Amino acid sequence: MMPIGENLLGQFRGVYLARAKDEEILKRKVASGGAVTALLCYALDKGLVDGVVTSKRVKGFEGKAVVARNREELLEAAGNSWSIVPFAARIKAKIEEEDLRAVAIVCLPCQAQFFGQMRDFPILETDFGNRIKYIISLFCMGTFAFEAFLNYLRVRYGVRAEDIKDIRLGREFLEVHHDDTVLAIPLKEAYSYLQTGCLVCTDYAGLWSDISAGFVESEPGWTVLITRNVRGEELVKGAEKEDYIELRDGVHVLGDVLKRAREKVARAQRNMAQLF
Amino acid sequence: MLMEKLKVLHVDFAGCEGCNVSIIRAYPKLMNEIDLDISYLRDGSCQYGEYDVALITGGACMNEPRILEELKEIREKARVVVAFGSCASLGGILRFARGGQEPRPDHRNFQPINSVIPVDYSIPGCPPTPQMLQSFFKFFMAGNESRLRLFKVTAGLKKLSGFDLIDDIVLTGLCIGCGACELSCPTGAIRLVEKRPTIIQERCIRCGTCYIRCPRASQLICLGGEKP
Repeated sequence: MMPIGENLLGQFRGVYLARAKDEEILKRKVASGGAVTALLCYALDKGLVDGVVTSKRVKGFEGKAVVARNREELLEAAGNSWSIVPFAARIKAKIEEEDLRAVAIVCLPCQAQFFGQMRDFPILETDFGNRIKYIISLFCMGTFAFEAFLNYLRVRYGVRAEDIKDIRLGREFLEVHHDDTVLAIPLKEAYSYLQTGCLVCTDYAGLWSDISAGFVESEPGWTVLITRNVRGEELVKGAEKEDYIELRDGVHVLGDVLKRAREKVARAQRNMAQLF
Repeated sequence: MLMEKLKVLHVDFAGCEGCNVSIIRAYPKLMNEIDLDISYLRDGSCQYGEYDVALITGGACMNEPRILEELKEIREKARVVVAFGSCASLGGILRFARGGQEPRPDHRNFQPINSVIPVDYSIPGCPPTPQMLQSFFKFFMAGNESRLRLFKVTAGLKKLSGFDLIDDIVLTGLCIGCGACELSCPTGAIRLVEKRPTIIQERCIRCGTCYIRCPRASQLICLGGEKP
């Protein structure tokens, strides 16, 4: 068995608290400081990448892979999508259709693992790892088995999937915005509807990414950025220099991130013991 | 200080030459770091008595005592043995050999080489790309074991295929529907239906690429060092 300590946060170079300087980006971001959107705007504006592949919520929990080639398209896709999009195959199609040479990918730790492995170890001639310039992984405690969760919402609360307008993560509640009402579901209750695959996942921060991003409750309004290599570090520092983000040292929040990472590993170990 | 080049031996057993071509294609960018002893670049027997790394391609024919002996000799000569390609790593398409086929192979029972000798790293792929070998040596020479862990644990496995992926990950409900397997299958044997993978069994060549590319499967084998 691999020592769990090594597996919690992986290797990193810097830990920062960041916030977008652009008012419009900040306005759209409720939970965090919008630093990821600002970093991607910087990468697009300066020509470091010619596209950003991310997922966009289309309705309810459903998401789809989209390519943003400029600031407007990026802002339109900003926000959480709450479901795993069959990302991999779609991304390849998108990259080829739109003839992208250098892309940034915003994804979850599992997807970052796949893209990171593909970039480091291109097994297939058809791999496109050399076109992936930045992998930005979001902190993740799991995604919903949304068929089951939607069914639960319908049976327990009478909320129909097609009426859901938005879903936001609060401190202790998951807020489901439907019609003109907000339904607050305790997180503990919602967590029962995570995908089984997520319940055995041990990666909270995205160990295979260039930059891990997320937020901690003790620093509302700020995005935690963990840079893992030179390319991640350069992107963050470049965005600060060009006034896209403001940056603070974030070492003091590392404990909060570690706490969640530990919770995820402990949960995975419990579930693995039951499943296997 | 000038680093001494790694002495690398390549030996092929019953392969289709795809992996060998990949190694030859990888070599120009590795020449400064490794000294490759490969049958295409020399006449007769091996150049050296001992090697840092032995790259073995192709599966082991269990009906041929000569081959099994040769494998054991290589193990003694080399500090590190790397199974390169799916046949050497996991059996691959050679698993389907039934004897009497034209033109080759004409033996009945092929196994991955870890059925005969201990293997340090297994790199699946049919064939793995030249860049894959370059990456392997980059991380190997840097001593970056965490990046190579997946290939280290794969060395302990005797089979991985689309069937295993369906059994271990999809039918257990662990699949998260990311589509990495569909994208990674070199023969198009895996298709996502209703956001979950299904397998077209006649197309699966047991190369194991889907399994080690599945984020959930690779994370699980890396954690425990064995299949769930």
